[in-house]
Formats: sequence, structure tokens, C-alpha cells
Amino acid sequence: MQVELSEAQELFRSSSRRFLEAEAPLTVVRELYDSREGFDRAWWRRAAELGWTSVLVPDRLGGGTLSGRPVADAVIVAEEMGRLVAPGPFLPVNVVAATLAAEGSDEQQSSVLPGLISGELVATWALCEPHGRWDVDAVRTTATASGGDIVVEGAKAYVEALGAAEQVLVSARSAAGLTQVLVPLDAPGVHATLGRSLDATRRFGSVRFEGVRLPRSAVVGNVGEAADRIAQQLRLALALQCAELVGVADRTLEFTIEYGLERLAFGRPIMSFQALKHRIADMTVHLEGSKAVTDALADAIDGDAADVERFSSVTKAYVGTHALDTVDDCVQITGGMGVTWEHDIHLYNRRAVVDRAIFGTPEEHKHHLLSLLSTSEETA
Amino acid sequence: MNAQETESVEAFRARAARWIERDLPRWNDEHVETRDLQRLLFDHGFAGIAFPRAYGGAGLTLDHQKAFYDEATAQDRQVPTGNRVSIGMLGPTILDHGSEDAQLRFLPPLLRGDTLWVQLLSEPQGGSDMAGATTRLTRDGDTYVLHGSKMWSSGAHEADFGLCLCRSDWDAPKHRGLSMIAVPLKGVPGITIQQTRSASGLTSDFSEEFFDNVVLPIEYLIGEENDGWAVAQTLLLHERNTVGNIGYGYLGRRDRGPKRMFGGEPAMRSLAAARRRSALDSVGEAIVETYIESVVAPLTSTRVMAGLRVGTHSGRWGSLTKLQSTVAAQASVRTALAAWGADGVIWDGEEVQYDNVGTTWLESRGGTISGGTNEMQRNIISERLLGLPRESAPDRDVPFSEVLRNARRV
Ligand SMILES: Cc1cc2nc3c(=O)[nH]c(=O)nc-3n(C[C@H](O)[C@H](O)[C@H](O)COP(=O)(O)OP(=O)(O)OC[C@H]3O[C@@H](n4cnc5c(N)ncnc54)[C@H](O)[C@@H]3O)c2cc1C
Repeated sequence: MQVELSEAQELFRSSSRRFLEAEAPLTVVRELYDSREGFDRAWWRRAAELGWTSVLVPDRLGGGTLSGRPVADAVIVAEEMGRLVAPGPFLPVNVVAATLAAEGSDEQQSSVLPGLISGELVATWALCEPHGRWDVDAVRTTATASGGDIVVEGAKAYVEALGAAEQVLVSARSAAGLTQVLVPLDAPGVHATLGRSLDATRRFGSVRFEGVRLPRSAVVGNVGEAADRIAQQLRLALALQCAELVGVADRTLEFTIEYGLERLAFGRPIMSFQALKHRIADMTVHLEGSKAVTDALADAIDGDAADVERFSSVTKAYVGTHALDTVDDCVQITGGMGVTWEHDIHLYNRRAVVDRAIFGTPEEHKHHLLSLLSTSEETA
Repeated sequence: MNAQETESVEAFRARAARWIERDLPRWNDEHVETRDLQRLLFDHGFAGIAFPRAYGGAGLTLDHQKAFYDEATAQDRQVPTGNRVSIGMLGPTILDHGSEDAQLRFLPPLLRGDTLWVQLLSEPQGGSDMAGATTRLTRDGDTYVLHGSKMWSSGAHEADFGLCLCRSDWDAPKHRGLSMIAVPLKGVPGITIQQTRSASGLTSDFSEEFFDNVVLPIEYLIGEENDGWAVAQTLLLHERNTVGNIGYGYLGRRDRGPKRMFGGEPAMRSLAAARRRSALDSVGEAIVETYIESVVAPLTSTRVMAGLRVGTHSGRWGSLTKLQSTVAAQASVRTALAAWGADGVIWDGEEVQYDNVGTTWLESRGGTISGGTNEMQRNIISERLLGLPRESAPDRDVPFSEVLRNARRV
């Protein structure tokens, strides 16, 4: 979270935190573990009232940024959600809302966007394909113009909130290039397989499109011209995800230190052992670094910075690695309690390990960075 | 021992190999329960190979034991896995410290597979500082009375006996007021056993036990009253050996099939294949590092084992192999997370699934925490093995009753 928040942002942060503490504390997260969708729709509508779904949408379409830097606003919520491993389709709904606001047709902006903003509707985004990568080059699903229609054919996997969503934004390939289509999940030929993840409340699913024929008006933006938009969606998702990981690591470190100050061994609090203090110090270095790089990514997206692609991979590589390492080391410091159901740390471990895996693993982003660095070297 | 009577290791190995080939089931055959498999070994003279005959053992040496399990591993045969704590840790501890009466009473049924034993050391308020135990043992005429609770006891819900570390003198400094006693866990009034749910969501193998003034015979004491710390030290040594796969704890291959995901070449090959689709150098490097560790760790155990035999190494070297093998195992799960990516943590189907890398990850800290955390192993290696200066401890040589009062002032 930024060191300096505006007054409106500070209010946004504190109201989001109070809302989560009151209406989605960890006891609720544990109850949702056994539920089908992993969140409550009425609760989500109340979250939407706080502005969770509108900061990335301009005023004229019913949204509103607090600071003029929409992504910087959104990461505030993401970080608070991480601190309490909160439920809810925050990330996919915001990614789709931002794209519909930027490139949607009048019809999409008037029929779908208001529902996303109010929380009545849930939409999600499908980029990655089974066993594939979050990478536009890996997209095989096709969107083919046929008369006045568009036909979608292919398969997508790891689609968040698929079971709750009414619409899925599909990133596909046309003869002319990449194309995005907003597909209603009840359209003929759409076969959704609901799934689960290690996360306590976050559900996923995979979906097959078998000759799904929709009117041309289902295309978002122009046929063949979606490559840049998809890349922007990925960066936004990474910024929100990394902010959430920052919240996860921050809170885990906090409660582990609290625990270690109370827990005694050899006649002293375990936090007094240098072996543990040094690790806490290292984790603090990584946490501060993670906050800095995540904020910088949000700024780079808001400011349309030239090196934003490189920045997003640096952020995921760094934050994805250190957030999970921090939670993992905190398990070790918690001792036997750390591997029980009763202790909350596994809820944080679950969130961190799933976030690490989606939108590209840190290793994939390192690999990408390496190729970015080597091509910039060649052209320099 | 008379040289003529002791079968040479090579002769023994040949005899064992023949029997193993004929009688021991393969890992791919139907699974034989631990108790039955142990009974089979016992009936053919291959249980407690390094235990004296008087207690139901084979009266041979640790080298004979190693030869037997090496043969079983080489022939890919099942060995008992559910009683490593009994056979590798508690049996040897009773052998080292039990009275003649206790040895005759407890060891034969243990080696025959009739009784399963667990360790009752850690308590809710602390595991690393085991000598800080507060479970109370009070002498009452011809009996002892046990009161308190223990935690994290692996396998307690199905065990017959536990070896329990308790405080018998509250005015002595903490290491000198402890006793170790055998506690029957089945059908004894005053004992409640509660299984703990693990981070993965599964009912775990460990439990919490509550002892409400449980009456025990005096003969169940192992070692002298108030000398329980020495017994505990021995037990820990055998525990590290069992985890590090040396000494009495050299008990062959642990498991089979998918559970053995992380370690061994087949697992590494499947990881390498999973990684192929991501074609990432950094994952590839991590896999190779994991593979290298999986080669080096057993070699280190073998070396320490040889050192124990010839006397260049002491039992404390078990801390080194425990540290090495558990760090490597945990790191290999981390590598698997990287290699499997989303497929390791997200699956089709709305049911919770446990057969995935993510679940293994949630439990992967078990090894680096149990059996003395790795921080404790590092303390042992640096302070005891290498003799580096010890950390100051405000609780040493102070009556235990004062330690509890002083702790907050540090
Ligand atoms: C899977 C599993 C199985 C187990 N099975 C058994 C069993 O069968 N029987 C049994 O009795 N127990 C068992 N245990 C308990 C285990 O021995 C304890 O969890 C362990 O000793 C740590 O104790 P604790 O959990 O109380 O952590 P604590 O002692 O509270 O330690 C917390 C943290 O402080 C660190 N720490 C403590 N002292 C120091 C120091 N001096 N220097 C540096 N760091 C320090 C520890 O390393 C740890 O990271 C098991 C545990 C697990 C996870």
C-alpha cells in the first residue's frame, strides 16, 4: 500500500478493512470452505456498495476513481483482502469491468457493466488453456467470424469463480489476430466443469466451447485487435494479485511475531532467539520490497509507463516468491501448531500457493524477464 | 559374543536374501498390514535383528540389520512401515534404559508386532523445550499417578503404549526432575485421546492426550526416577537416526506408489516431464538440485552410519542427517509447486481433493518441525557437535518451579 494515501483512499482502506473484519472474518472464511461458490452473493453486493467494483470504471459509466489513479485505488482493496484471505470474485470482476469500460460496446456497457458494478452480476476472464500458460502466444481457442456471427471453439482452464459467473470474457484467436468475446455461460455449446483449488474459498473451473455461435455484438473491442488489451488485463490481474500477496505476507508476519512473543521455550519467548529474529528481519526486507514494487507496478499501469510489461514480471517474480516463502517460514516458526487445521496460518498458505501458481509462476516470469532482457540487449 | 556363534554378515545376507525372495511380498502385491508383516519377520527370526535373543530379537548386529533391509529394498519387497517409532526408536530406548523386568515385559510383544508404541514428549505449551514438561508424575504407595496432557503424538489413536516424559520433582532444576514412564493407551480409565485435524483438512496422524490421574504400576518406569532426561536424550537420538535412516532406525524403504512423490528417481522423472511443457530453465535447475540432494542425502546417511560403526562419528551426527534430509524433502515439494504450476493446486471437480502437490505442500513442514525442529538440530550441530559457545539459557540450574515464574522477565 502506498506510503501516502489521499484522504479518500484512506477512507476506502479503513471502510474496506472494517467491512471485512465485521462481515468476512476468518470464522466466516472457514465456514465458506465447505460451500459451493465460496462466497455469498448478498455479501458481494454489499462489498460492491463500498466501491470495490467501480474504481476502474469512469464516472460517466457509473464508476469512479478516488484519486485519479484507478489501479492504485484497486490495490488498496486487494491488499486488505489478502490480510484476511477474503472471499469474493474481486479480481475477475474488476478485470472484466475495466475492459468493458475501456472497449465495450454501448450495449455491453449498458447491459452488463451496471450489474458488475452493483454486484448483481459476476463475470470472469478466461485466458489460460488446460496445462497451458497465461501468455497470449499460447492461446489456441478460436473466435471465427461466420456471417453476422462469431463462433467460439476451444477450451479454457483455471477460470476463477466460473460457478458463480453469468458471463465469461474469452481471449481467443481469429485469422486477423487476437479477439475477445463475452460469452454467456448458458449459451448453447458452453460446457463448464466446476472445480476447486487449494484455497479455502476461491473456486475455479474449466470450460469447453463447442461451436458456440453468438451474434457479432458479443465481441469486445475489434476482431483481431485484442492483443494489447489482453496484455493490459494480465498486468492488472498481476497488480491485484501481488497486492493481495503483500497483504497475506504482512498479516502472517504480524500474527507470527505476536505468537512468538507469547510462546516460551527455554525460559524465554521464542522471538528472543537470534536464529528466529534474523529470519524475521529478512522477511521484513522482502515485505518492504514487495510493497514498494507492487505500488510501483500500480503506478506504472496508471501512468501507462513504457516499461510496464517488464515491471509486471519483476513484481510477480519477486512478490510471488517472497510471499510464499514468508508464510512457509512462519509455519516453521509456529512449530507443530503451524501444521494444524486449528491454526489460521494454513488459510494464508493456501491463498499464497494458489496466487503463486496463477497468472504465471515466478519461474515463468523470470523466464520471460530473461527473454525481455536479452532482446533489449540485442536491439540496444 | 562368541565369534563361532555369530553368523557373518555375508552369510546372513545370503540367507536373508533367500528368505526375502521366497516369503516377503513385493510392494506391488497387496499391502500387508504392519502388525502382520512384523509378525512374519518375527516368526522367521528377522525381527529385532540387533536385539538380544532373550527379548525376542535375533541377537545379531546393526550391520546384519542393515544387510537385511538393503536386501529387502534391492528386491523391492514390503517392510513394515507403520511401526518405525516402535522398532527404530522406542524399542532401542527400552533396551538402553529399561530394567530387566521392563525389557522382558515390553520388548518381545513389541518385536512380535503385537504392540505399537508412540512417544509422548511434546506438550501443548511446548515441544522444542522438551525438558520443560509439566505433565505431573506422583508416587502414591506402590503406584504412580499421571496427570496432564501431551500433544502431537504421532499414531497415538491406534497405539498400545506410549513412553511419556513427565515431571516428578518440581523443586529440582528442570533437567533433573523428569521421569520416563510407559503408559498403556487402550482401555485405561482417565485417558482421553483426541485426533488433531491437520492443515490439509485431513484428520492427521497425531493426537492430543489428556491424563486425568491415571494410575500406573511402578514397574512401568523406564530408567530411574528423576533420570528421565537421560532416557529422553537416548530416545531423541534414536528418533533422529530413524528419520535420518541410520543405526536401529535403518529400516529400509519407506513407502511406495504416489505417496512417494518427492524423492527417488521415478518421482524426479515425472517432475521433469511435468516441467517440459513450461520449458523453464529455473524450474529445470531446481529439479536437478532436488535430484542431486536426493542422491547426496542417502550417501551421507551411509557415511555417518559407517562412522558410527568404526567410531569416527557419534550419535549426534543424526542431527546432521535429519537436518539434511528434511530440508531436502521440503525443498523438493517447493520445486514440485513450481513444476506443476496451476495443475498442482487447482483441479476439476467440486470435491476437495488431497492427491495433489498443494496438499503435500501444506503438510511439508511436518518433517522440519517434528522430531526436534530444524532450529534445534542446528543448535545441536553447532553447540554439541562442533562445540561452539552455547546460547545463554535463563532456565538452566534453576528450580523448575521458579523457571515458570521468571520466564516473562527475560
Ligand atoms: C508431524 C508431526 C509429528 C509429531 N510427532 C510427535 C510425537 O510422536 N511425539 C511427540 O512427543 N511430539 C511429536 N511432535 C511434536 C514435535 O516434536 C514438536 O512440534 C516440536 O518439537 C516443536 O515444538 P512446538 O511445536 O511446541 O514448537 P515450539 O517449541 O513452540 O517452537 C516454536 C519455534 O521456535 C523455535 N525455537 C524453539 N527453541 C529455539 C531455540 N533455542 N533456538 C532457535 N529456535 C528455537 C522452534 O524451532 C520453532 O520454530 C510432532 C510434530 C509434528 C509436526
